[in-house]
Amino acid sequence: MDLARKFGAETAEGFVSQSEELNIEVREGQVENLKLAREQGLGIRALMGGRMGFAFTSDLSPEAIEKTASLAVEMAAQASADAHNGFPRPFAGYPRLDLYDAAIAETPLENKIELAREVEAAGRAYDPRVQVTEACAYHQSLAHVHVANSLGLAAEFAASVCGGHAVLVAAEDGDYQTGFGLQYAWHLPDVAAGKIGREAAQRAVQMLGARNVEAQEVPVVFDPYVMAGFLGILAPALTGQAVQKGKSVFAGRLGQQVGSPRVTIIDSGLNTAGIGASPFDGEGVPSRETVLVKEGRLAAFLHNTYTAAKEGTASTGNGNRGSFRSVPEVGPTNFYLAPGDLTPDRLIGDIQKGFYVTQVMGMHTANPVSGDFSVGAAGLWIENGELAYPVRGAAIAGNIGDLLTEIEGVADDLRFIGSVGAPTVRIGRMCVSG
Amino acid sequence: MRCILPDKELLQRVLREALARAGDFADVFVEERRVVGITCEADQIERMVAGTDVGAGIRVIAGGNSVYGYTNDLSWDGLMNAARIVVQATGEGGGEKVLDLRPVTAPYAFAVGLAPEKVEAVAKVELVRRANDRARTAGPAVRQVTVGYADTHQKVLIANTEGQYVEDERVRTRLMVNVVARKDGLIQTGYEAAGGFKGLELYQEVPPEQVADKAASRALQMLEARPAPSGRMPVVLSSEAGGTMVHEACGHGLEADLVQKKLSVYAGRIGEKVAAPPVTVIDDATLPGRYGSLVFDDEGTPGQKTVLIAAGVLAGYMYDRLTAGREGKSSTGNGRRESYQHRPIPRMRNTYIAPGADDPAALIASVRRGLLVKKMGGGEVNTANGDFVFEVAEGYMIENGRVAYPVRGATLAGNGPQVLQLVEGVGTDLGFGIGTCGKDGQGVPVGDAQPTILLRELVVGGTEQG
Repeated sequence: MDLARKFGAETAEGFVSQSEELNIEVREGQVENLKLAREQGLGIRALMGGRMGFAFTSDLSPEAIEKTASLAVEMAAQASADAHNGFPRPFAGYPRLDLYDAAIAETPLENKIELAREVEAAGRAYDPRVQVTEACAYHQSLAHVHVANSLGLAAEFAASVCGGHAVLVAAEDGDYQTGFGLQYAWHLPDVAAGKIGREAAQRAVQMLGARNVEAQEVPVVFDPYVMAGFLGILAPALTGQAVQKGKSVFAGRLGQQVGSPRVTIIDSGLNTAGIGASPFDGEGVPSRETVLVKEGRLAAFLHNTYTAAKEGTASTGNGNRGSFRSVPEVGPTNFYLAPGDLTPDRLIGDIQKGFYVTQVMGMHTANPVSGDFSVGAAGLWIENGELAYPVRGAAIAGNIGDLLTEIEGVADDLRFIGSVGAPTVRIGRMCVSG
Repeated sequence: MRCILPDKELLQRVLREALARAGDFADVFVEERRVVGITCEADQIERMVAGTDVGAGIRVIAGGNSVYGYTNDLSWDGLMNAARIVVQATGEGGGEKVLDLRPVTAPYAFAVGLAPEKVEAVAKVELVRRANDRARTAGPAVRQVTVGYADTHQKVLIANTEGQYVEDERVRTRLMVNVVARKDGLIQTGYEAAGGFKGLELYQEVPPEQVADKAASRALQMLEARPAPSGRMPVVLSSEAGGTMVHEACGHGLEADLVQKKLSVYAGRIGEKVAAPPVTVIDDATLPGRYGSLVFDDEGTPGQKTVLIAAGVLAGYMYDRLTAGREGKSSTGNGRRESYQHRPIPRMRNTYIAPGADDPAALIASVRRGLLVKKMGGGEVNTANGDFVFEVAEGYMIENGRVAYPVRGATLAGNGPQVLQLVEGVGTDLGFGIGTCGKDGQGVPVGDAQPTILLRELVVGGTEQG
């Protein structure tokens, strides 16, 4: 920061992260790939005359840091001036969260390899038709983050997360179906290896013999994985950034009904059920809980320091930073749809004919600005309130905004897939292309 | 910035250390990457980013399995430590001998006209401004314009225990324009990008205004579009549409790692008819200036042109060293990685369907009722069963052989091997697209291309019945 100011910045910010990563991939009981990594880096933001520049380096030698500071100032000179650019002032304190467990790093490698093997063994033992392992893995990452700015803010935290995932293929009569299972935890004993493997196996096996269906309009049920995918494309539209840029379907609709009364959407950096928890964001602003949609009514948007200044409000602690290589944008921490009180079975039970979607393809092609989506879908066909047979090769299309208003039922099975959480959800009607 | 990349002697020591306990093969990949990124939105140059990333990845292969470690400490101690950490994770059993390093001769060279580091930041900002200003004048419905510019200059050193030593430089630049248009409460977007294994001379060939015009007209056109139908119908993919279909429908399934894990519908089918006779599919690293082009892949294997499907018959797969070794074959130069943080895996370069004999206009004229795709968006494939989807970014209904009206909101769904059998016509033209392909959490720059092609039938996933 001192260097940046020496080169001409009025205020500056430094963001340093050090991280360690371990990934173990097992196939047929053998460690097929093992990855161990350490990295560190620095990102410097320099502000002068309302112009913000950014530079980063993974080389932390004194010369490299000096060069990076001067580069940040050089970049600032080319940026447009904007009076809302700035850094947060120091905060009185930060929430205490249980995010670091030294036992994760200290546990021997062999135990973690064994955990990955258990994931695979449980999946393969679930059903003889589970014949191919695409990946069964253990992951852990440790990170130590420091943020400081020349207004006096200085904060640091450490976090460690561990978990596993499985992608298994079931085969029968020349038909191959893939299933996926995943879990993350803050403590090693909380990782349920067998459950991860069995979930992937079950999701693959239930799809064997899938057929195509005719195009029709029917009620549709999304499982938590699929609904979490849809929430992922909804999240950008609920940021102040998108609203201010005219890139949100929710712009100008605060206080209005944007979803059915069953829809409550929350962002919370304090909820440790998701791996997006942290005491503060990429600018050092304390994390908090923000209710974005309350019983269908649009209640708030997410902000970082810049978008909040532009809006005349306070940052919600959503200045997300991918790594030291990027500037803080606005993004969710843990983003989830609050659970309802029905069981998933009840949600499906009174559907005469419908589609229970367990896999979607091409979710990344959905348009976060217009909210339009059209995705490939596979799952189970519902007949007389029961899951009748598997379906593949279908497509479903619509608009994520409309989807919120058409949510008829929300189940009680909220589950986090990484940092996005969703329960099973039922949509009144959707066009299913066969 | 002064950055000292390690010398050959150090790399040789690192390799010896890596095979100290066990292993058949080891390699080290050292990278220095300089990037500049500029984003303009709301008429403001909002993001000015520059950075340097340096690091090295060390890999040991033992009995077909691999251990990979990386560090961004390139000092003697840093690299030797990283090698020791990797070694601790390998088993016992005596490592192979490490041969002396000898430089590998480059098979060809790509000329970079205007290297990004020789161009002042202000001139790059000007390119961004030109695109922004042009897109904003396209019409009153244009509500937001985002222009992104990025250049990367990547220097790599690759050395392995077979004695191969490669130094390579890759220069890529990219300009993308995203336009948001709004009318009567309806929001639509239009996207266009230009990029290549090139310096800034790219923008003399493809002016920023041209990229902006395409993005803006696409957004405005889609405001006038009707919702796409849902159901099965013939589809014409224009050569301007990019190559997402070939990338998803067959490219991924021909990557040797997926084939060997029996995760591909194309496994064990070499020599079989997997596509209609007019279909020839090629993956080519050697095309000058294309986004997925390369001189050496990220394992130091020279780039080449690889025929995957020849006149409908499956001819070969795309291999990296590890997968090639398992079959006693040579790598096809498809071993690529996002950065030193990732191990190499088989990836596409520039993948395309070769031009055929049909007149593109005649292909459209032959359709009674169907969909014309002028631009494809992203896509995804489940390689285990070949089911794929891709997005239609610009589409039109064809009625009685004529282009009738634009439609929006469609995704096309199909099955790779089935769709390739359904190709009824292949045009004489060829158009390229650029993209970042994601696989196993790694993104790499790729090109794809195809002529205008007619498919007998695909599932169109729109919102209108019928």
